[in-house]
Amino acid sequence: MHGIFRWSGKWWPGTVPLVVFWAIAAWTSTAPLESDLAARSTAALKDTVLDKTRIEVAGRDVTLAADAFSEDGRRSAVASVETVPGVRLVNDETRLVPEAKPFVWSAERDVARVTLGGSSPLPASKGKLLEAARAALGGVEVVDQMNLARGAPPRFDNAALLLLDQIGKLKDGKITISDTNISLSGMAHDLGGREAIAAALKNLPEGFSVAANEIKAPPYVFQAYKDPVASTVTLTGYVPDNNVHAAIAAAAGRKFFSEKVVDNLKASVGAPSGFAGAVVPALGALSRLSTGTLVVADREAKLSGDALYDAAVAQIRASLAKDFPPSWQVKADISVKPAAAPVDPTVCQQLFSDLLAKGKIRFESGRASIDPDSAGLLDRLIEIAMRCPTADIEIAGHTDSDGEDAFNQALSEKRAQAVADYLVKAGLPANRFTATGYGSSQPVASNDTDEGKAQNRRIDFLVR
Amino acid sequence: MAYLVTFHWGWLLASGLLGLAMGWVAVVHRGRGVSKRTSRWLAALAAALVAAALARVIPGRPGYWLDLGLVMFAIYLFGCAAGSWLRDWVLARNAKAA
Repeated sequence: MHGIFRWSGKWWPGTVPLVVFWAIAAWTSTAPLESDLAARSTAALKDTVLDKTRIEVAGRDVTLAADAFSEDGRRSAVASVETVPGVRLVNDETRLVPEAKPFVWSAERDVARVTLGGSSPLPASKGKLLEAARAALGGVEVVDQMNLARGAPPRFDNAALLLLDQIGKLKDGKITISDTNISLSGMAHDLGGREAIAAALKNLPEGFSVAANEIKAPPYVFQAYKDPVASTVTLTGYVPDNNVHAAIAAAAGRKFFSEKVVDNLKASVGAPSGFAGAVVPALGALSRLSTGTLVVADREAKLSGDALYDAAVAQIRASLAKDFPPSWQVKADISVKPAAAPVDPTVCQQLFSDLLAKGKIRFESGRASIDPDSAGLLDRLIEIAMRCPTADIEIAGHTDSDGEDAFNQALSEKRAQAVADYLVKAGLPANRFTATGYGSSQPVASNDTDEGKAQNRRIDFLVR
Repeated sequence: MAYLVTFHWGWLLASGLLGLAMGWVAVVHRGRGVSKRTSRWLAALAAALVAAALARVIPGRPGYWLDLGLVMFAIYLFGCAAGSWLRDWVLARNAKAA
């Protein structure tokens, strides 16, 4: 052993090549060693949730900079890099992601895109939200402006995913989560969208509540257009349900006796209350116009067009004011059609006959009150009567054979008189008309069938 | 340490072999050795470097180079000792045989 000390004095010459070896080893191995340690450190952090991770290796020292989402996560990230074999020191530059207070997340939709903003709790949930947004809005651009922050309420992801499903039902608008309060604003894409969103909000995860829901529904529109050239009435827009649809179609069929009703209505929820009560009288008013348009949007109806004669304008306005449900508004922009050229009494008779062949003046059963559905027909009869101012006209009432003759006679007279009164009210001179009742004495069809009876119950206009 | 050994086994082997050769030669070498005084200074220097390495006071790449140098030097010394002892043993056996 003693020799070792003696010999060691002569070991020094070997240090010269040793230093050379050392220099070469240091020169060639530093970069591979650093990249090897960086790869091992990255692999060690694979299962740790971090954001903005940056690993720098100098020699065997690792500088770890990252945003962690909890103090435990931060410590375990540093610890897992420290245990990587070969790492000498870890310079800990990790920090906690800032805490958002209140924790606000939002999704905003406009025509072209959806912007996700505010805070998201973890990179994974951020990715999940983006993916859900793309899936819910196939084709619409999704812009990500979300930050990462701590402080999300529990079950945030579920709430946000549910709300992202709703953003597809909006045309434009914004949905915001602020802590556990949810507020929504904007315009629903379709009728019923607002109701669908409200229903979906009932499934929000526990703890979340709706602070404000200001989603508006698009206007509930019903339109009718009367085209005298094509002799059609076109109905478009929405009706609340099939029952109201049938009722409106039936009313249109009665009121527009000579026009073809083109029914393009669709059933949809979201109708304002009193919809049918407003649309039916409005259709009645439209039936009295020669050409016209009816637009019902929410609780407002606009009627425009040409009435057949002066007095009709005031009558139409008055009946709209009377029949429209309260809380509805109606605007009538009605002008008067230019008077048609006068014609011979014989032509007048032809016109009366043609018109009464298409539709009949209706009365309440067993009474002499004119059914409001016949207003359109009466207006046309009045227009014809105005074209032959010199002709005297007999208004002849007829009934079927049911009931007693005396009753039928009286009823036919009263009905003829009611029509004559209506014409006089429209501004025609009373001395041009004679109202005569014939009871059931002049049938035009057999009284054995219901159809025949219906034909026999009639008012005829006879030019004398 | 285990990582350094596995990563640099080639260089460490080279240092060891260099030490073995130097130790083998040193036994019969007639030149001047290092004086006692100098060797004390060298030992103190080595101890200071080892202390610095263990305390990890030198950061980054220089710290790594120091570690690498010290490991290579330690293996070199071990090789020297082994070489010298081996040579001495061989000489002693030959002398006995003669």
